[in-house]
Amino acid sequence: MAAMASPFSGALQLTDLDDFIGPSQDCIKPMKVDKRPGSGVAKIHIEDDGSYFQVSQDGGTQKLEKAKISLDDCLACSGCVTSAETVLITQQSHEELRKVLDANKTAAPGQQRLVVVSVSPQSRASLAARFQLTPTDTAKKLTAFFKKLGVHYVFDTAFSRNFSLLESQREFVQRFRGQANSTQALPMFTSACPGWICYAEKTHGSFLIPYLSTARSPQQVMGSLVKDFFAQQQHLTPDRIYHVTVMPCYDKKLEASRPDFFSQEHQTRDVDCVVTTGEVFKLLEEEGVSLSQLEPAPLDSLCSSASAQEPTSHRGGGSGGYLEHVFQHAARELFGIHVDEVTYRPLRNKDFQEVTLEKEGRVLLHFAAAYGFRNIQNLVQKLKRGRCPYHYVEVMACPAGCLNGGGQLKALDTPSKALLQHVEILYGMVRTEAPEEVPGVQELYRCWLQGEGSERAGHLLHTSYHAVEKASSGLSIRW
Amino acid sequence: MRLQARGKEGEATFKLDVIHSGKDFWGEGVGKYWKQKCDSWICKSVLSEGHQRTVRKVAWSPCGNYLASASFDATTCIWKKNQDDFECVTTLEGHENEVKSVAWAPSGNLLATCSRDKSVWVWEVDEEDEYECVSVLNSHTQDVKHVVWHPSQELLASASYDDTVKLYREEEDDWVCCATLEGHESTVWSLAFDPSGQRLASCSDDRTVRIWRQYPPDNEQGVACSGSDPSWKCICTLSGFHSRTIYDVAWCQLTGALATACGDDAIRVFEEDPSSDPQQPTFSLTAHLPQAHSQDVNCVAWNPKEQGLLASCSDDGEVAFWKYQRPEGI
Repeated sequence: MAAMASPFSGALQLTDLDDFIGPSQDCIKPMKVDKRPGSGVAKIHIEDDGSYFQVSQDGGTQKLEKAKISLDDCLACSGCVTSAETVLITQQSHEELRKVLDANKTAAPGQQRLVVVSVSPQSRASLAARFQLTPTDTAKKLTAFFKKLGVHYVFDTAFSRNFSLLESQREFVQRFRGQANSTQALPMFTSACPGWICYAEKTHGSFLIPYLSTARSPQQVMGSLVKDFFAQQQHLTPDRIYHVTVMPCYDKKLEASRPDFFSQEHQTRDVDCVVTTGEVFKLLEEEGVSLSQLEPAPLDSLCSSASAQEPTSHRGGGSGGYLEHVFQHAARELFGIHVDEVTYRPLRNKDFQEVTLEKEGRVLLHFAAAYGFRNIQNLVQKLKRGRCPYHYVEVMACPAGCLNGGGQLKALDTPSKALLQHVEILYGMVRTEAPEEVPGVQELYRCWLQGEGSERAGHLLHTSYHAVEKASSGLSIRW
Repeated sequence: MRLQARGKEGEATFKLDVIHSGKDFWGEGVGKYWKQKCDSWICKSVLSEGHQRTVRKVAWSPCGNYLASASFDATTCIWKKNQDDFECVTTLEGHENEVKSVAWAPSGNLLATCSRDKSVWVWEVDEEDEYECVSVLNSHTQDVKHVVWHPSQELLASASYDDTVKLYREEEDDWVCCATLEGHESTVWSLAFDPSGQRLASCSDDRTVRIWRQYPPDNEQGVACSGSDPSWKCICTLSGFHSRTIYDVAWCQLTGALATACGDDAIRVFEEDPSSDPQQPTFSLTAHLPQAHSQDVNCVAWNPKEQGLLASCSDDGEVAFWKYQRPEGI
């Protein structure tokens, strides 16, 4: 196959990626034009090398600047999505990080930005597999590597995931109890996967949105933690922090650029830059560093009570464990049933599994995990026909979930299935903790958020979705 | 014998499909069902409620009780036949834009659709007429024009604007692309398997028809295979016969004759020379009907029961029936 496979999840690939841009969808990047008074039109002369020169009436020439569209411009606009954008997106966010680190080196102390990197456990597992290290060693060596480059703090998004899980648990129980008042309370769908969210907003917009969980993803909770809590701790305004996340997929870049995650007040994004696991690998290569050879550095933590010298994780698989946590919590809260071991039953394929809570022959809870586009399709079609039997579904765009994201390191000489299994094992090696018991989490709810279910918690830990209306002008119809 | 298949003025007929009894056919554009009464064809049913845009392709299920219609409105409707009436039992959604083709697998349990969104979807139907998407295949890099199933194996073929033909089979709980046939220099518009399923004919905008042959692992001819998948080789190219894009090719399951539908308004029939080497066959042009229609011929279909009976449809809005007789001496 000659063409490069798209790096985005299958769900995102199928939505309107087209190089034909109808006139109504033309790039609308506003360009600042310096208008000077004077009569007559400017003449434009094109040099052999393709550069443009404006020739004024007195014969003087002035080289014209090329209009540039940066990735940020592209992502901020929902006009067109062309393959040019995918090129921009895949093109080296790690270079952006380098630019900031380099700028820091020459900037005055008051002008420097505090650089924070939040690493996802999935990316860490992928790197651990490649360099044949334990997750703990990988975490420590990555910390060392980033600090060598000039990064100030390195965090683990497993910490922010605790909040995402707790909020999801609470939200589900609320919606389950409120079923009588709303036809759209259930089923509830997870919202941590941006591939799924982009697809839902674009293809089924107003129909699907009410069913989506409003809890932020671990990446975006980390955004709140770093740019709000941590910024305060460091006595910095949020725009003085440059927050980078390391993620297993490219779709997370789109998530970080959502307007909902941009603070108008401080004119800064909650997450400034997303680099994929592959891009971190490129950074290592460019530095001529092998991760295994680095001296491990102590791990950073967001709050003192959360300090630990080994990473922690969650039960329920490599995509966050939403189904498992919400299931166990709901069983306890709603029915007083304690579930020790969650049993998954695979359905038509291994990316579609279900879990039930039964008592005396009655089904009390019916949950499912649907990964991959074909299963998302079937799920949505069932929902549209009113035939969706589930109360809660963990939806992920990538088959096999986040550990198999498009930004993970590819297998070198083993079959990719074997690599995935290896990464899953490494991921599962990390000691798990229940979100309720993680040190620092309850404290942050108390001090930073002013209580569970508070307005601040709602603002910082939740988000909203927006249906993308398809352009219906005649110009956008393909014949 | 010609039929005025038009509903509205100037409506082109894109595709037709002949039910296995040979006595009914479904012509497309709007959705008209015709039945043969003595020597003439009566339009029994017009289905105008199912789709919002052009209906591009129709396909009868192997059992003859269902009809699938693929439309530019991005949906595929499944209709159940009840004597001369049709009821829409379900609508398959999911493609991002125009669905170009639909085909039933010989088992009757699987359906394939393909679209301008570059994907091929495989659907499974259960006893309760519930359809579920089994796989979404993103192997092509451009608009997929046609899908066709192997006559006896669960092997699927697709033709695309990316100039290739791809083959797919089931692997564990998913479908995978097991072969890519390269050689055409432009859009591949249609495909047809020969009666045995050992060979596949493809027709293209490059004005050629190519015949491909399947070579299983450990074949006698020594064609190399990777793993357990058969290799496909182009064993014959019919060039110089068509002056415009070839939109359709049909391989008669009774006689092995190949019919083509061309943008030069002509229909052609080719027959394999019986004395030619099976590994390097030669085909001769045995019939050439210039001006078969007054515009592009979009589709040709052989009657599955009656030898030599060929139907064609065109941009000129007509469906025509032809009687082909193999010339003496072949």
